[in-house]
Amino acid sequence: MALKALDIYKLLPKKNCKECGDPTCLTFAMKLAGGKADVELCPYLSDEAKSVLGATTRPPIRLVKIGVGTRNFKIGEEFVLYRHEKTFYHPPGIVFRVTDTMSEAEIVSVTKRVRDETFTRVGADLRFNGIAIENVSGSPETYAKAVATVEKVEAHLPPVLIASDPTALRAALVHCGTYRPLLHAATKENYKEMCALAKQHGCPLVIRSDSLDGLVQLAKDCNAEGAGDLVMDLAPATLGDFVRRSTAIRQLAITRAAPDLGYPVYLDTVKTGQQDAAVALGIVKYASVIVTDPLPAMSAKAALTLRQNIYTDPQKPIQMNPGIYRVGAPDKDAPVLMTVNFSLTFFTLQGYLESARIPCFMLIVDTEGLSVLTAVAAGKLSEMLVRDSIKKFGLEGEVSHRKLIIPGYASPLSGRIEEATGWKVLVGPRDAAEIGEYLHEEWKK
Amino acid sequence: MPFDVQFGWTTPIGDVVLGATRADGGTRRVSYRIGRGTTLPFLEDVNGSPAPLIAFEICDYPAFWSPIIRDYCGDLVNNVNEWTKTADATYGADLVRLHLTSTKQRNFSDIASIGKVVEGVLSATSLPVIIEGSNEPKIDSEVYQKCGETGQGERLLLGTAEAGKYRSIAAAALAYNHSIIAQSPIDINLAKQLNILLKEIGVQRDHIVIDPYTGALGYGFEYSFSAMERIRFSALKGDTDLAMPMICSAADTLTIKEVRETGPEEQDAAAIRWEFYTCLAAAAAGAEIVCVRHPGTIPLLRAAFADMKKEAYVTTGVP
Repeated sequence: MALKALDIYKLLPKKNCKECGDPTCLTFAMKLAGGKADVELCPYLSDEAKSVLGATTRPPIRLVKIGVGTRNFKIGEEFVLYRHEKTFYHPPGIVFRVTDTMSEAEIVSVTKRVRDETFTRVGADLRFNGIAIENVSGSPETYAKAVATVEKVEAHLPPVLIASDPTALRAALVHCGTYRPLLHAATKENYKEMCALAKQHGCPLVIRSDSLDGLVQLAKDCNAEGAGDLVMDLAPATLGDFVRRSTAIRQLAITRAAPDLGYPVYLDTVKTGQQDAAVALGIVKYASVIVTDPLPAMSAKAALTLRQNIYTDPQKPIQMNPGIYRVGAPDKDAPVLMTVNFSLTFFTLQGYLESARIPCFMLIVDTEGLSVLTAVAAGKLSEMLVRDSIKKFGLEGEVSHRKLIIPGYASPLSGRIEEATGWKVLVGPRDAAEIGEYLHEEWKK
Repeated sequence: MPFDVQFGWTTPIGDVVLGATRADGGTRRVSYRIGRGTTLPFLEDVNGSPAPLIAFEICDYPAFWSPIIRDYCGDLVNNVNEWTKTADATYGADLVRLHLTSTKQRNFSDIASIGKVVEGVLSATSLPVIIEGSNEPKIDSEVYQKCGETGQGERLLLGTAEAGKYRSIAAAALAYNHSIIAQSPIDINLAKQLNILLKEIGVQRDHIVIDPYTGALGYGFEYSFSAMERIRFSALKGDTDLAMPMICSAADTLTIKEVRETGPEEQDAAAIRWEFYTCLAAAAAGAEIVCVRHPGTIPLLRAAFADMKKEAYVTTGVP
């Protein structure tokens, strides 16, 4: 049962010493209640208070860091079953798999792809996150050589080391042991050796079992062996297994009904035989590390886009900076299109303007991220805002004409905008998809 | 120790019947009963609920259709009956969704031709059929009346009712016992409001399929995903005004920049992958009918749904 901030406050020293970094014990208590602070930050807590608080204020899913350097990624520390309840915080790391039976050239090329490939959309750079190296050959030497090949590229990507034989992992760790690789996987047969390796190199460890009971037992055993940064492989035989187990684990973890299941989830899509489906379901159903063979270009973009969508914070609309944006190289006679600063509106319109191949200006006004329809309804989009934006961004100096194209959904404001600005207002289409045709037919006249 | 996963659901999703067989006074070879879910999608006992249905979308006037699909399907798009047959026999769809795009032509008034198109499609396939009428207030009433009348007895799914236009479609559905798609702009409250409006004019719950509107992947899909999750959640918690099955169409995804501007050699792959990711995610959020326009998306969805419905081989502690 989660404690409320005031219950937690009663257990704190109430000294307001600020040593935890918070101004008062009460603000620290509020952070603890939200799972946003660690009890260890308070130097004056009794052991008894610590044990009471530790169990209830820890984030329900442990934060695990994989890799070091600029490309490291963090997973876990999630609080909800549905993104609309709050948000999902840590997008899953999507990791491309190579095997030690591939040629050196193949391994190098996949590594370079993950290092270099960037897909830029709606103002964000989307990338894959790491390299998984699997021991298929059965030989520790061959495996170590493959891992060395990856490391020689100096891509500094978080590694995932997949081998059932601890000897192979030990050989591989010689090459990347200090880079915080994720080790896969501890089972009930080998967990002692795996935990020893994880402890020695300070790396996170995957535990693998096809039952929730098995995972709980392994988590307890590994903790006892001193391995705390765990990730869980649910060993699903079908996509349905994955969805059912992953959802059950998320629900049991966030409600703290089964604290031993409070670790991020690992999904190997290769074994499902349906990689696209597994990647998509992993993204929407709580996977935190997704291992896949290198995805073809089109799957890659769809997967990265879905991940971007699902991990967008629903609490804040993504906004563009208001101002004047150019499409192509517009001259003084180019059309000016006004719209709102909700980023989806902006990028959708920009996409269609680019394909229309008519250079133009976009006047983006500040509706605090509301879409055209909602901004008009809420009164955020007004003739004064348009007038002030024209002045503020110096639109009059950019074009020699005085014509403004407004979105179709803003048509109720057309007369008032004309009066307030002195510009002639043209009402554009409601759907950005029709803007090209509109400009070709109406503007050229 | 088996784990007891508690969500606190109280009410199953209501059901809707699509298509009528001879036994029920129609001519369809199959009829589907969708809905009846008792928990989150894909979580229940495998026999408890069927896999989502896959509808293939076609139209009677291809000038208003994605050029990617026109290129891929070739001449078929100019012959709606042949296209329907192919969707059924070759593409392997569960449903055919006909968009009467001919009604979008300027000053369209040939209502009789609509009847012929619907008749043709109903005889070209014996699958249950979804029909999307016009989007023009002046002719809506006649178009829906014509569709309803032509499909009498077939238990069609008619689309699309919105808050501003639901009377004529409801009238046609009520008169000829069809079901209707109720679409709202990605908002659970508006979805509920529209269902209540429909209820007030006599459309029964078991004749409504909710369309929360599916934004394109990368351009607002996350809003649709959450709207679907919220609708399913509220329904299972007992809100009977939202306890209807949902439909999702990936149509918008074909028009986004990332797909539209892909080179010709990869354009089909792009369309298929983006439709697939959209529909699979929507199904995971609760859609029970997913609609696609690229034939290549169907087998991928089919395989994924089959694997998601397969019996878990380990049952210890798994719900």
